[in-house]
Amino acid sequence: MKRELLFGLFIAGLTAIAAGCARSPSAPTASGGDARVWNIGFSQCTLSEPWRVQMNADVKAAAERHRDRINVIFQDAQDDTPTQQAQIKQFVEQGVDLIIISPKESRPFVQPINDAVKKGVPVIVLDRDVPGANYTCFIGGDNKQIGLEAGKFIKQILNGKGNVVELAGLMTSTPAQDRHSGFVEGISGSAIKVIFNADCQWKEPKAQAEMRSALSRFENIDAVYGHNDPSAHGAYLAAKQEGKGRENTIKFVGIDGLPAEGQKYVRDGLLTATFVYPTCGPESIDTALKILDGEKVDKRIILPTRTITKETLK
Amino acid sequence: MPSFSKRGLQHSTPGKGSAAWALAGQMRGVFALLLVFILGIVFTPRNLVTGQSVFLTWQTQSDILFEYSEYGLLACGMTLVILTGGIDLAVGSVLGFIATLFALLLIGFGWGVGAAVAACILAGLAVGLVNGVLIGRFGLQPFVATLAVMVAARGAAKAISGGIKVQPGARTWYAMQEGTPRVFEWMTTRLPGVGIQPATLLFLISILVMYVVVRYSSFGRKLYAVGGNEEAARLSGINVRWTKTSAYALCTVFAALAGLISASRSSIGDPEAGFTYELDAIAAVVIGGTTLTGGQGGMGFTLVGVLTIAYINKILSLNAVQEPARLLAKGLIIVAAVLIQQKRRV
Repeated sequence: MKRELLFGLFIAGLTAIAAGCARSPSAPTASGGDARVWNIGFSQCTLSEPWRVQMNADVKAAAERHRDRINVIFQDAQDDTPTQQAQIKQFVEQGVDLIIISPKESRPFVQPINDAVKKGVPVIVLDRDVPGANYTCFIGGDNKQIGLEAGKFIKQILNGKGNVVELAGLMTSTPAQDRHSGFVEGISGSAIKVIFNADCQWKEPKAQAEMRSALSRFENIDAVYGHNDPSAHGAYLAAKQEGKGRENTIKFVGIDGLPAEGQKYVRDGLLTATFVYPTCGPESIDTALKILDGEKVDKRIILPTRTITKETLK
Repeated sequence: MPSFSKRGLQHSTPGKGSAAWALAGQMRGVFALLLVFILGIVFTPRNLVTGQSVFLTWQTQSDILFEYSEYGLLACGMTLVILTGGIDLAVGSVLGFIATLFALLLIGFGWGVGAAVAACILAGLAVGLVNGVLIGRFGLQPFVATLAVMVAARGAAKAISGGIKVQPGARTWYAMQEGTPRVFEWMTTRLPGVGIQPATLLFLISILVMYVVVRYSSFGRKLYAVGGNEEAARLSGINVRWTKTSAYALCTVFAALAGLISASRSSIGDPEAGFTYELDAIAAVVIGGTTLTGGQGGMGFTLVGVLTIAYINKILSLNAVQEPARLLAKGLIIVAAVLIQQKRRV
């Protein structure tokens, strides 16, 4: 009995702590001045990927610049679709003026987004499109285009001929499929061959192990195309650990170009290039302000990639 | 593989003494490993220039051990726990936590290698004691207790790193802004004269030491006794609580060692490192022939199990087999291994 009581207290304590953590940092009440402060609800599907952490940081920084005009309420759905659906509903009930969502999936969010828009709350969808939803605006990158650019880049630095190892992302996901098909298109018409291809599921240790296999199989590897920067970095380390100095002759190319990751690897000379997959953070706030000001915005905004090399970083 | 297992069965059925039984079981595992090895020789890709087998080279063979050193260490610790009839789901998260901590101490706070390693091992021991006390003292089911610690350790890894990968320059306050800690490179570079990496060496030495401990020490005998029949062990005067607590503590220390290797291998402290590794570790132990019900098996079995999975993975990888086929093959092999075990028990 005593133990059960203790356990109950323990759980109650935990719940209290969790509730305390979950409370949004600033209550969205009007500031009392003459200018109205808009409340924006921002729902991120997960913060367990560095790219999404960066997206949040970008949104936060952009919101900070317009502190006098907007207040952003951040929510993390922790990779759970029902949680994120509930967050959208909750934002509407809370009475936010605009919702920004970076959804975990597409289909399950058609209904919540449509409901919000029907109630007069504009919705901006980031990164993953939700076909069939009546959102106000979609902002995202174009993985196929990025793959294409990467392919063209490798074609150029290898002078149109050579052997490439492709370390793919999770091939059941559309970003990996697009980064693959774009790349194939980019190198088409050249004498570049993909001699080794493995599904590394975006994971650096997996990429490292696969690269080690490629290294022991092939004497001549000219370039490595990683579907993300950690994969390219893992490949670099595998070559370095091999101890034959091949990390200096092979060109490593990655995607994503986060400041603390891909861009740093390029600056340190580990990667030859990385292609920025835009986080849409700053753009989402700019677009939100336009919508709140009553301006008309495009329904689809596709952000271009940037090629990051040592030269562009200077 | 089934034909081999049947042949093995005839050898083993008359075995009454546990030593003979263990030997027969071990032989079956070795058979499977040998079979996989032969598959590797047959299905090796060849070097395009020299035409040599890519599989039968020192480089590939030592790479296999190197790549599986983390799994090997996890499986080593897991064996102790499984021998007592328990399970430890937390090892993968602990690996991630310690990898992050190790990188943070070296890169973020600029600690020396000795102090950082000591702190990491102590942290591992502390987490292991939490497991051990929850299970040994409070009688929580191992599955539940270590599940909780698994979740919490992942949280701790993200908390201390602030949710990012710890690497030089990732934060402006880090002591190290450029380069790579020397110990990371040392751990993953082949030692001159020995020809293998310190990471591999750490794995092999751990397995060897624990082989001796499990086989010949009184602690080892207690593990079997507790796993075989907990009540009987208690009645015969064995401190069951203490034995279990020690097993979980040791298991987590090995996970911490694996964390050191993980950080060195990727030269960053990734809070996501080791995700689902506990499943591979359990698979290796089971494929080796240690039973999940406890009291049967041993460290030699586990080494065989780790090598079997490692070889299979390497062969699939060398041939650039696509992911769906790889997963199917791995699943089949686990089933085959478990079927062999069941036959032994009949």
